Amino acid sequence: MEIVAALTVGALVAIGIWLLLDRNLVRVVLGVVVIGNAINLGVLTAGRFGSRAAAFVAQGEVPLQAANPLPQALVLTAIVIGFALFVFALAVLKRTWETHGTTETDRVTALAEEPAPDLPETPLRPGGPA
Amino acid sequence: MLNAVLGIALAMAFAPVLSRLLDDRAGFLLALGPFAAFVWFVLQVPVVAAGGAVMESIAWVPALDAALAFRLDGLSLLFALLVSGIGTLIVLYAGAYLSDHHHLGRFYAYLLGFMASMLGLVLADDLIAMFVFWELTSISSYLLISFQHEKSDSRRAALQALLITGGGGLALLAGLILLGAAADAWQFSALDAEALDGHALYPAIIVLVLIGCFTKSAQLPFHLWLPNAMAAPTPVSAYLHSATMVKAGVYLLARLNPVFGGPDGWGTILVVVGAATALVGAVLAIRQTDLKRILAYTTVTVLGQLTMLIGTNTTYGLQAFVIYLLAHSLYKGALFMAVGAVDHATGTRELGRLGGLIRYMPLTGAAVALAAFSNAGLPPFFGFIAKEFKYTGLIEFGPLGWLTAGVMVATNALLLTAAGLVFIRTFLGRQGRYLREPHEVSMPMWLGPMVLAIGGFILGAFNNLPEVWLVNSAVQAVSRGPVEVHLYLWGGITPALVASALTVALGALGYVYRYEVRHRLARWRVFWRISGDLIWDRMLKRIFVFAGTLASNFQHGSLRRHMTLLVLVASATALFGVLSMAGSFAGVGSVSPLSPAGLAGCVLAVGGAAGAAVMKGRLALVAALGLSGLGLALFFLAANAPDVAITQLMVETLTVVFLALVLRRMPPMGVVGSRAPRVRRIHAAVAVLFGLTAAGVVIAALSQPLPGDIAAWYLANSLPGGHGANVVNVILVDFRALDTLGEILVVALAGLAAATLLGAGRGTGAARHGGRAEFDSVFLRQGVKPLAGLLLLVSLVLLWRGHNLPGGGFIGSLVAACALVLLALAFGVPLARRLLRVSPAWVSGLGLACAVGAGVIGLLGGGQFLTGGWAFPGGLPLGTPLLFDVGVFLTVFGAVLHMLFRLLESEEA
Repeated sequence: MEIVAALTVGALVAIGIWLLLDRNLVRVVLGVVVIGNAINLGVLTAGRFGSRAAAFVAQGEVPLQAANPLPQALVLTAIVIGFALFVFALAVLKRTWETHGTTETDRVTALAEEPAPDLPETPLRPGGPA
Repeated sequence: MLNAVLGIALAMAFAPVLSRLLDDRAGFLLALGPFAAFVWFVLQVPVVAAGGAVMESIAWVPALDAALAFRLDGLSLLFALLVSGIGTLIVLYAGAYLSDHHHLGRFYAYLLGFMASMLGLVLADDLIAMFVFWELTSISSYLLISFQHEKSDSRRAALQALLITGGGGLALLAGLILLGAAADAWQFSALDAEALDGHALYPAIIVLVLIGCFTKSAQLPFHLWLPNAMAAPTPVSAYLHSATMVKAGVYLLARLNPVFGGPDGWGTILVVVGAATALVGAVLAIRQTDLKRILAYTTVTVLGQLTMLIGTNTTYGLQAFVIYLLAHSLYKGALFMAVGAVDHATGTRELGRLGGLIRYMPLTGAAVALAAFSNAGLPPFFGFIAKEFKYTGLIEFGPLGWLTAGVMVATNALLLTAAGLVFIRTFLGRQGRYLREPHEVSMPMWLGPMVLAIGGFILGAFNNLPEVWLVNSAVQAVSRGPVEVHLYLWGGITPALVASALTVALGALGYVYRYEVRHRLARWRVFWRISGDLIWDRMLKRIFVFAGTLASNFQHGSLRRHMTLLVLVASATALFGVLSMAGSFAGVGSVSPLSPAGLAGCVLAVGGAAGAAVMKGRLALVAALGLSGLGLALFFLAANAPDVAITQLMVETLTVVFLALVLRRMPPMGVVGSRAPRVRRIHAAVAVLFGLTAAGVVIAALSQPLPGDIAAWYLANSLPGGHGANVVNVILVDFRALDTLGEILVVALAGLAAATLLGAGRGTGAARHGGRAEFDSVFLRQGVKPLAGLLLLVSLVLLWRGHNLPGGGFIGSLVAACALVLLALAFGVPLARRLLRVSPAWVSGLGLACAVGAGVIGLLGGGQFLTGGWAFPGGLPLGTPLLFDVGVFLTVFGAVLHMLFRLLESEEA
């Protein structure tokens, strides 16, 4: 199971990076979500799955092969924080669209940034190939 | 000693105010600072001459073993006397020289600041403290050279000096740290020569320290900043660039000579570099026509000779070093000040215009005569003894010494010619052409040169005085073993005397045929074309261009290229780590069996994400992403992590809601990825590479055994220690509650920030009135009310039971948020807000207060912050972790709703 999970992490990370490299900010935001999910899965995987029961100690006795509770606690908060981060990214996306009228990363840069005053030549071409 | 440094620093602090109050008379008052220090040092002379050393130390950075340790031995005392003594005269001189300058106060401050740092430098016993003072002298020198900052020459010279000495300072710092580490001692007095002789770091230390010293003391090829530094006002040149700062490098060489002066390369390097510097400086000096520049280049010569003398490490060589150091400081300080006086009086420093000045300026002329004789090395002046001992020392040094002595004869002959130019050409002969009538300068301006010049004469004529009181102890401080010191003017007919006579004869001939000599020198065009300044300018320009290119290549402003580079570097680093532990991958074998639900979860997660990666439609994107999250939730459930699974489920629901609300306002997306197929392929390759790396990292982590028995400890202690059966929740609200507190704080802050951004859209004002539902459907309205009520009820149950069963603050709050999301969508935000009664931001803050309060209760209970306290009224388990969980609930609930309400309101307009 762990190997499958590790491969899933790899696949999700690859997809996340692919999204982050997109020219459209919408996909960049989605990439943040996907990579966040992948990392959560990775942390949980590092804690192993070889359990038959969840981490509950109801009768005062520890069940045999209970799941590792620590990664679960870490991931649980990470999911919520990841959600807050996602909404923040989404908010930035929304503002960018409202302010600049575009969601293409390079064009936003060209619109929002002014070239350094002491460099006469501007290496940045708006909308140029990445 | 500390008081001397601090006293002068105090004078520095008051200089601008005093200067404004007292005008140009402030100099007399300010000179008291260095003068008091001078007197104190004079009083220490008997102690030091008897072979003792005065020590002082206060702790500075005890953790790093750095102390403000001061130690006054012979070498330090000699320098301290020069710094404070000449400093006193310079302060007086500067007051007269710059009396009409509007920034005189600032000048005093810089000058006294420099004095304090220079004094600290020569007194410091601690390596690091010495370095700090060393850098302070560089900085104050920068300020002084650029004092007339209106002139571009001054600015350029100042920057050049700062860059060269500062760059050398960096090398020196590295060298000193290596030295301290290698010797395991951070005091000069504690360095052990024996331990360092064969050390592996020895060559590196020597090279780094030498770079530092050579840049500071203007040795070849770093000499070019010193003549340019003559752009500074003359008092600065007289003080920093002849008597003190440039000798800091020489001082450090001398200070470290007992440690490094072993049989290895140190001596040879010093002799060769020093002699070459001396010769180049002398040749260049003769070619100048500006009096100040002549002196500047002769200073380069002298610094070279001093370096060379340290390198000889012979009895006479080291004596010559100390004598020459003293003699040069006296006569060069005098000459510089006199040249400044000439400039002040006549308005020019050009040789061609000067002549016959003795009639107008008898006192200055007399001082210059005395100083120039000492400079030329004529008996009975101190400079003569220095020259005699120099030759003797070089001859002692061996074959290389003979060769060097030959070079030195030529060099000193040129120096003699230069001295002739400065005195005879300027003060004797026919009258020059002056722009205005020359006049004798005021008392403070001739006093300095006169005192120093007479000092040079007295020290030479009555040479047993300095021998007993100064030179002896200084020589012992510089040499490795004890050295017998005996100064004399007449030592019989020795090779040194012959060389000396030859020098005088050559120098006199050189002066008589000075036009011829210059003419001959000017013919060597090949050499003059190699201009250090030109090389420097080109190099600086190249560096700027290089920096610009580098910056524009990395700061290109393209997010995708930044990302690509970042990902590639991260992959390379991680892959290196993974591959380096490839041998231990055998441990991966013990994995748990596959479960169908887990597999299905994985497939869904990857499939959904892959769909999001290639699809264009906005709704399809939202759906695909939601699917991916649900798959993950399924996997968590299969992995026996119910709490995580529920959280993931709720978060995924809210994610979809937010995403759908924002994306519907976005433009449709055209293409996927980059337009150019080549770039698309590169991006895909980068993504795959990083994916493989991530999988590799996880597998590598799995191949290692789980360290310790952390999981077992939590499982065992959850119920007895935390009174909860749900171990995950107990960890969150009790064992690691401080982490959770930080995390909910992040959530609250992110909520505030995101809400501000989300709500800042078009027309938030109109949203206040009315407000309409997002989905105007009767069925929805009828169904939502009971559903939302039920959800709120469930969320409270989840919160309450979370300590023992799946649930808790996080999950409960997300469920409750979902309920209000439904209400807001069906009936509009105003109703939801009315229902809530308080602003969600306040709810969030209240939650944080609850969580912190729970911690404080633990504190009040005698434990640490966030220690859980429990009570069982009527069998009901109540504890501060529960309050903490309520805090978590309110914080997350408030943050989510705050964001959602602002988003919806901004869209209603």
